[in-house]
Amino acid sequence: MHLQIITPEKTVFNEEIIEILAPTDKGQIGILPHHINLISKLTHGELIIKSKNKEYVIALAGGFLEIKKGEATIIADYAEHADQIDIERAKEAQIRAENLLKNKDLDMTNEEQIRIEAELRKSLLQQHIAQTKRRQRPH
Amino acid sequence: MANILALKRRIQAARNVSKTTKAMQMIAASKLKRAQDQAASGKPYVEKISKIMNNLLLSEKKYKNPYFSIQNNIGKTLVIVLSPDKGLCGSLVTNLIREFINFQEQTPDSTYIVMGKKLEGQITHFSKEILASFPFGTTIPSFNAVYPLLRLINEYYLGGKVDSVKIISMEFINIFTQKPKVFDLLPIIPEINENDEKEDNFYLYEPNKKILLDSLIEHYIEMTIYQRLLESFVSEQASRMMSMQNATDSARDIIDSLQLEYNKTRQAKITGEILDITGGQSVLENE
Repeated sequence: MHLQIITPEKTVFNEEIIEILAPTDKGQIGILPHHINLISKLTHGELIIKSKNKEYVIALAGGFLEIKKGEATIIADYAEHADQIDIERAKEAQIRAENLLKNKDLDMTNEEQIRIEAELRKSLLQQHIAQTKRRQRPH
Repeated sequence: MANILALKRRIQAARNVSKTTKAMQMIAASKLKRAQDQAASGKPYVEKISKIMNNLLLSEKKYKNPYFSIQNNIGKTLVIVLSPDKGLCGSLVTNLIREFINFQEQTPDSTYIVMGKKLEGQITHFSKEILASFPFGTTIPSFNAVYPLLRLINEYYLGGKVDSVKIISMEFINIFTQKPKVFDLLPIIPEINENDEKEDNFYLYEPNKKILLDSLIEHYIEMTIYQRLLESFVSEQASRMMSMQNATDSARDIIDSLQLEYNKTRQAKITGEILDITGGQSVLENE
């Protein structure tokens, strides 16, 4: 099965694979080859992809999964390989977002607040996934 | 001869101009490259999202969402005008103004949101109602610029104050050609593609079609606005690069012709001096 992950910035993943474990609102779903046509909403979380001889972990911040004739496409707001995540930057982003939420401006609009919260969630997710991945890595 | 000094000064002035325009050309070129890359990398995302949305819409005919149906025919339009903040970009601003004038003649009952200083003055000149005006900026537009626009659009469109939303901006065709164009943003009209209909459109939907479509549409609108912003920026830089290149070339031409004139004048002066000297000498010898 072919999988392509597209974000507004770039195409993150474009390879043949044998299994997808994707986070949805109702929990993780597993997709194997020859799956029926499907469109699903994805949520914040860890996307695990298995190919013949490798396993990929990808941090995902919401998006959609489409399966059509055995071809899988994920369009995500943000997606990044776990081993490419910059933990330091994620931490900085977390602190920045937390500060902004703490010293809330009175004229901060609802959308701004939602956006900062999303930023915070994303940075926490990045750290979480990058750290779990690092622990699993054999030495 | 004072003429020589004046020529020298004019050459120097033309040189300075050509240096400035050359620098502006190079800055525009590097900005253009980056913006083009970003626009290109966002394209598959937008294409895919509109394709999924279209497929869903065709399979779900009963679906109702205010973004699709004209709420009440009040005939008012909300227009978002995207223009550069700075000039010196060839005929781009003039073309935009012309498009705006055409547009406002056809649909006089419109409310405007302006992004970019260059058209703000024009629109006020026509005493149109301006809801808000934002600076366009001189760097690649950030995604955050979409949200304030979106908030106003939602307030006016979903609030029933207007029944359609359009964008006037530049369409980037290639580096040499950019055209002003009026784009329809809302209501969204699903494209009915004959080929797609024949395809197998059976899908399983998780969690359900309505939730999926609602959030897909939000993404779609955000991304469409952002792509417009990027395209405007790319057009501005491309147009500036070309016009600055032309300016540099003409400055070089001027330098060349001035230099030729300078050399000729200088040569004539020297010839004159030699003639004077030899004339004086022959007078001395004859005595």
